[in-house]
Amino acid sequence: MIAYYFSLALKSIGRQKGLSVLISTTLGLGIAACMITYSLIHLMSKDPLPNKSERVYHVQLDNWKLNLAALPPDLPPEEVTWRDAMNIVHAKQAKLQAAHGVTWGMVTPVDKNVPPFLGIIRATQGEFFPMFEVPFLYGQGWQNFPANTVEYLTVLSKSSNQRIFGGVNSVGQTLPMLGKLFTVVGVLDEWHPSPKFFDMSFGAFYPPEDLYVPLQIKAELELPHGGNTHCWETDIGDEYQAFLNSECVNFNLWVELAGDQNKQQFEDYLQRYVEQQKALGRFPKAINNILLDINQWLAYKEVVSSDIYVFFYLALLFLLVCVFNAASLMSTKFTAKNSEIALRRALGANQQAIFSQCLTETIILGCLGALIGIILCLFGLEGIKYLYPNFSAFVNLDMPLMLITVGISLLSSVLAGLIPSIKVSMLAPAGYLK
Amino acid sequence: MRMNVKTYINGLPISRIAFGPIMSALHRQKYAMTMLVLQIALTLAVISNGLFIVSQRFEILQGASGIDEPHTFVLTSSGFTENFDPQTSIQTDLAELRQMPNIINAVASYSFPFSGSSDWDELQIDAGSDQNIVPAASYKLDEHGIEALGLTLITGENFSPSEVLWQTESNKTFPSVVIITSSVATGLFNTLDWPSVVGKSIFINGIHSAVIKGVVRQLQAPWDAVGQMQNSIIYPRVITRNSARYLIRTKPTMLQSTIAEVERYLGMSNQQRMIRKVQSIQSLRKQEYGPDIAAITILLVVITALSIIAAMGIAGMASFNVLQKHKQIGIRRALGANKLDILSHFFAENVIQTSCGVFIGCIFAVGLNVFLVAEYALPKLPLGYILLAAGCSYVLGIVAILKPALKAMNIAPAEATKSQ
Repeated sequence: MIAYYFSLALKSIGRQKGLSVLISTTLGLGIAACMITYSLIHLMSKDPLPNKSERVYHVQLDNWKLNLAALPPDLPPEEVTWRDAMNIVHAKQAKLQAAHGVTWGMVTPVDKNVPPFLGIIRATQGEFFPMFEVPFLYGQGWQNFPANTVEYLTVLSKSSNQRIFGGVNSVGQTLPMLGKLFTVVGVLDEWHPSPKFFDMSFGAFYPPEDLYVPLQIKAELELPHGGNTHCWETDIGDEYQAFLNSECVNFNLWVELAGDQNKQQFEDYLQRYVEQQKALGRFPKAINNILLDINQWLAYKEVVSSDIYVFFYLALLFLLVCVFNAASLMSTKFTAKNSEIALRRALGANQQAIFSQCLTETIILGCLGALIGIILCLFGLEGIKYLYPNFSAFVNLDMPLMLITVGISLLSSVLAGLIPSIKVSMLAPAGYLK
Repeated sequence: MRMNVKTYINGLPISRIAFGPIMSALHRQKYAMTMLVLQIALTLAVISNGLFIVSQRFEILQGASGIDEPHTFVLTSSGFTENFDPQTSIQTDLAELRQMPNIINAVASYSFPFSGSSDWDELQIDAGSDQNIVPAASYKLDEHGIEALGLTLITGENFSPSEVLWQTESNKTFPSVVIITSSVATGLFNTLDWPSVVGKSIFINGIHSAVIKGVVRQLQAPWDAVGQMQNSIIYPRVITRNSARYLIRTKPTMLQSTIAEVERYLGMSNQQRMIRKVQSIQSLRKQEYGPDIAAITILLVVITALSIIAAMGIAGMASFNVLQKHKQIGIRRALGANKLDILSHFFAENVIQTSCGVFIGCIFAVGLNVFLVAEYALPKLPLGYILLAAGCSYVLGIVAILKPALKAMNIAPAEATKSQ
């Protein structure tokens, strides 16, 4: 029976080619608009660490001045001070913990054929690498060193290793930079988490840094403070050490809790820590710690801007218009063959048969719409790459998106065709047989 | 005379429109008509809200930064050797750059409009009080700054060379004289009489006293820390860093050739540093406003596609009706209706449809806007945009039915005699 409906539907579509193409194109356009905007939301809010994003937390403490908000309306700063970073990391209250910040300096390779360049460097404690599942091509990272240990070690990104050492295994090699000699202990594989959740000060889709060095190196060599630096004290003195001892925030602090450890325990620890610091005369404001897991943090930072949600809702309305449009066209299409249907009814087809046949036709049109939609979507996403150059590396039509596209097309074609199909199947045949 | 008026009115096409048949025709196609009206309504809602957002973004794009954008570029000079002396390097470079014939002036500054980073300081009239704190982004420029940026000094004086201090990042101090933007002047003194603020003292960050030496019309802050992009203050300072940024203003039409020339010259003149991040202010502006440009593009594409879809729906419906009513139209023509009557029948039908759509669409438009205001903090939709979108709907409707209506108009009365 299905095969018969199918062949009838194909014939009908063939007979009303113009109208059928119009219906499919209309649906396809609406679906493409919807999917292009939805793909932005889908791709921008992807979980960057799916295995354990709910156990990895970003730590915020409010060390700000009384009656002053670090961030409006009354939120704590998004970074922490050097002192808090050191204290909390060395307290080892979580499974893994690392504070890190961005800095930069000249990298001067030994090989004279490689010109010196200004390297963007992440200064970080070693547990950064296992916590964020950073993939290594060669070698490995380092431990969280005690506060006074200065080790001149570095990990290179894949592209930096390519640039400096021509892509060979450079573990154990010496690299002069920042005026010192560093030993390469590891080389990363391709790594570009999206969003770059662990530090979004240069944008959520900014590429990761060229090199990594232990956090202590930053203090030892007095490297510049990259990323966001916020201070509320007016005169902190001139010394680099004074900055580290001040209430200036610059370091991102992340912890990973063990599987059996709950968030409450760590929050209690933070509470106790801040109370202890209050006793030492710091933290003048009421306690306002924020502990967010990766996805909560991405939502907090509004990685998907409200613009993109607005586009999506407008595109959804656009799809609705296309569905209404297709519905009126379908109604027209079925009305035009009233006499044919009356004939079939007179020859014994029941209402259900007519309805099924019309719906089959509708669904075929929906599939055509999906095809047109996907093609338009591919073009549209090229446009999106052009409009959002920072994000372009991540734009592609993945499997879930494809499936959603097909699903939405079928749904909207059924929505558009349902009432016309019912109407035409309820038709009294007599009037059309004259 | 009264008779004449009546005949005249009867002579007008509008009074000859047979509303009865139109209404009954619309009534007979209830489902299709409902779909059509809903389409028009949603289209109106999307177009009015979309156009409003577009116009707001255009306003943002058009905002001036106060500097001579088309003729200015920036670059970074990064020293990398042990014995690189930033201050000497900056002084030599600037002296050389200011000599070049195509360059109006050049200045060393870490911050400039669209650079994305700078300090923000808090300004007050009275020391230490919490009253009337005006935040301002601070620029550190020497006496060439105003000319190099192309700012308009509306009152007061530029810095004198003796006021300018060379300092490093770690030992910078606050100056005793400053230049402020007109917007800061208004914020602090609540006045539009700029000359009156020159010579007055202000306090920076509650404790450092400084005298206002001049007021510039406009200088946009490098980044938006507190939603006050026009609040800037200039200190007579040059902060030396290993990585120094130069802002260079060229003569009109000389931008591209000067960029190449400067890059070549600086690259050769001192081998202890490298020249990076050479960018025109216009390309920086484009990056900065990328999301707004994207929003405008996406919304305009959606609005255009939506208009086409809606018009196609209306046109498709009308063509179908013309086809179906071929014989009826022929009969009406045979019974004495002239071409104009047929044409006005279709136009009237269209206007009635559109009016229903516009009526419901106004409600949708307001509803959509209320949602966007609540969820995404968008501003309220002015009535003008709804009216504009309604006007667009009528034009769209008329354009869409033009072809089918003309076709209907040309149906010969003889069609009445043909069997279907």
